[in-house]
Amino acid sequence: MTRRIPLIARDLKRLYTGFLLVAVSLFLLCTYLTEFNPMVLATNGDAFWEFITEDFLPLALPKASRIPGIFSSVLVTLALAMSATTVAAILAFFVALFGSEKVSPFPRFAKAVRGFATFLRNIPALVWAFILFSSLGIGTGVGFVALCITSFAFMVRAFVETMEDVSQDCVESLQAVGATFPQRVSQAILPSCLSGFLSWYLYCVEVNIRASTIVGMVGGGGVGLTLFSYIKSFRYDIALTIILLIATMVIVVDQITGKLRKELLK
Amino acid sequence: MEPILKFDNVSKHYPNGVHALKEVSFELCEGEFVSVIGPSGSGKSTLLRAINRLIPISGGTVWLDGQAVSALRGRNLRQLRRKVGMIFQNYNLVYSLSVLQNVLHGRLGYMNGVKGVFGLSSEDDKQEGLDLLEELGLADFAYNRASDLSGGQKQRVGIAPAIMQGPKLLLCDEPIASLDPSSAKTIMDLLRDMTQKRNIACIVNLHQLDVALKYSTRIIGLSKGEIVFDGRPEEMDDATIERIYGTSRENLMIGGERNDQTDSAHCA
Amino acid sequence: MNVNTMEYSATAKARPVSGKKPSIPVKCRQRNRFIPAFLIGVAVLSVLSLLYLEIDWLKMASRVGDIGLVFWDLAHLDFSNMDLIASSLVETISIAVLSLLYSLLLGIFFGMLAARNVFRLPWLSVLTQSFFTFLRAVPTPVWVLLMLVCLGMGPEAGVAGLCVHTTAFFTKSFAQSFESIPDETIEALEVTGASRLSIFMNAVLPAALSQIVAWAGMRLETNFSECAILGMVGAGGIGYVISNSLQGYDYGTAGVAILLVFLVAYGIERVFVRIKKKFY
Repeated sequence: MTRRIPLIARDLKRLYTGFLLVAVSLFLLCTYLTEFNPMVLATNGDAFWEFITEDFLPLALPKASRIPGIFSSVLVTLALAMSATTVAAILAFFVALFGSEKVSPFPRFAKAVRGFATFLRNIPALVWAFILFSSLGIGTGVGFVALCITSFAFMVRAFVETMEDVSQDCVESLQAVGATFPQRVSQAILPSCLSGFLSWYLYCVEVNIRASTIVGMVGGGGVGLTLFSYIKSFRYDIALTIILLIATMVIVVDQITGKLRKELLK
Repeated sequence: MEPILKFDNVSKHYPNGVHALKEVSFELCEGEFVSVIGPSGSGKSTLLRAINRLIPISGGTVWLDGQAVSALRGRNLRQLRRKVGMIFQNYNLVYSLSVLQNVLHGRLGYMNGVKGVFGLSSEDDKQEGLDLLEELGLADFAYNRASDLSGGQKQRVGIAPAIMQGPKLLLCDEPIASLDPSSAKTIMDLLRDMTQKRNIACIVNLHQLDVALKYSTRIIGLSKGEIVFDGRPEEMDDATIERIYGTSRENLMIGGERNDQTDSAHCA
Repeated sequence: MNVNTMEYSATAKARPVSGKKPSIPVKCRQRNRFIPAFLIGVAVLSVLSLLYLEIDWLKMASRVGDIGLVFWDLAHLDFSNMDLIASSLVETISIAVLSLLYSLLLGIFFGMLAARNVFRLPWLSVLTQSFFTFLRAVPTPVWVLLMLVCLGMGPEAGVAGLCVHTTAFFTKSFAQSFESIPDETIEALEVTGASRLSIFMNAVLPAALSQIVAWAGMRLETNFSECAILGMVGAGGIGYVISNSLQGYDYGTAGVAILLVFLVAYGIERVFVRIKKKFY
């Protein structure tokens, strides 16, 4: 046993040295490639500050007639995130059942299901949005589908992992009893994994609130679009107000989901 | 007597090259209480899971109640699995459900699709479940969450669905490996009494040689996927033990600790 | 009918008299009532949301065929603009890495300020934490847009914009890691008379290092995909190539760029999974 301790330490040391070496060389390489110069930021400091104090501050409210519209655009963003995540979660649940060798009735296809999800997940939501814009036209519906795709793929992976962690044993015991696949799902997987699934769902809602703001900026509608149009028309003071509004929205949602998650895992 | 279970030259090798079973053959009749013993990795678990096809075998035939298990698929396989109850080392309960719901899982194989999916058990089944819990001494816990029970209680619950199935054969995969000695005795007593009362044949995987000697009517010794002993407990002598475990009886009983130490020294 | 209390007497002695058949309950006595309420709430909210969005499903459905066409066009990879794609991909990756490294340093610094157990100044922790909570709540592309406005086009805006969000993320997670270090460790060093900063450098930071490395690996994935989309909101990089060629109906080029984004993201994920398996 005494020999194991230095072994771990040496292992870790190698990790840190490797990490440091990689970090430094990457830093040098990337600085060279992009000609990024942190001094630019420093020398531009004055102009930067001036810009903030003069163009962004003081905060300005948009015309009173626009305010209801802005609030409804916040609602659109929230509704987009909420509905897209729910639809994605329902689809992901059914697909995830087939994505684990240990649970699926067709274990041979489990790898294919996971591979498909990996493909969808590793292309950012905004890229999906652009691909869909060029076929379906600009609009909230496309933003909805784009958000659905990435959160669907994310949840497939998360759900498969949850199922393999939690319900592998009881699935086996129900199999031994002679239960059919739908029976195994409803009597073993659902009861044991539901709170885990819902916790991932809440996480996805959080992510999607941010993502739907961004998808909105390029044409999905909602508060992102409003912000984008104010920035494009150089009304930075109003833009800052809206940024604060977005931040408030995100923080409030994070607080709520945090509370709910605690309640779920009780 | 017609054997209820028959292994005919059964082999199993896993994709990673491990030969878990090598041409294993034996028969089992009604009312027998068989212990399968052997060191870890000798194929005990694979042997049990080959019976109800939780693990598909690679060669030979498993005959259960006159049917070849490996030929069955879908509905027929599920109907066959109903005849075989199974008890697991880790209890394998659904911990978020009530004890009674877990017990009723034993009837799932008999329920039609929709009813089973929604867990709509018949009143008779529910009553039978309650009676069974009474017999196991768990009547007061019927409506507790399965996660609230202690290890010994969980394993007692684990027996219930298997009995609910009305099986002809009961498979127990190291049922007492995670339990303290007193709970282990309760479980073994229950297993013996309940199977005798209902005339169910029983196969138990065990790590504890003394338990196997005390409870079984017959012992099968496995080593490296082969049956090296098959007979009554009285026939078990030191030479056979050495053949099964590759070490003498003294080392198993008293020198267990010393063995562990040498093992860990090898690992380190 | 006093059936309910009878049911929960829970013993088989409560066997019903034949003819009268009260249903025997099977569920737990103490059920978690939160989950059903939560599910219903989510369902209602989602349906309301869908109605509120007023999406024209029919119009979308009528164009579903076009999606197939677009994918068909994307699959005809066109490598003629490879030098442009390659250079913008390199730029994107570089910006992602640079912002990660700068944020790592900034994150350790601010994480030190935000952790409650390093300087023991509650007001400092609260102030830092809430400032970065705000920064974190605003999506990255917004920051990049603002930096573009302030600094003009160029990698500086990208790096600075990404740094805002990444630093905020690191500050929160590093502070968590620092706070998970047992107080006894710190006390033991305190009694030796070591200064707060040297305690941090010699005890807290080394203990949290493995977690810091893990966070950094995880964040690289996010940073890359964030960086890949920056081009779409007006900054440069591979995102600009994708959005530009999609809007110009140059699907072949867009296909190559999207494929490369996928491959890089997938590669980072695989490497990270490997490292995680090896060290944890």
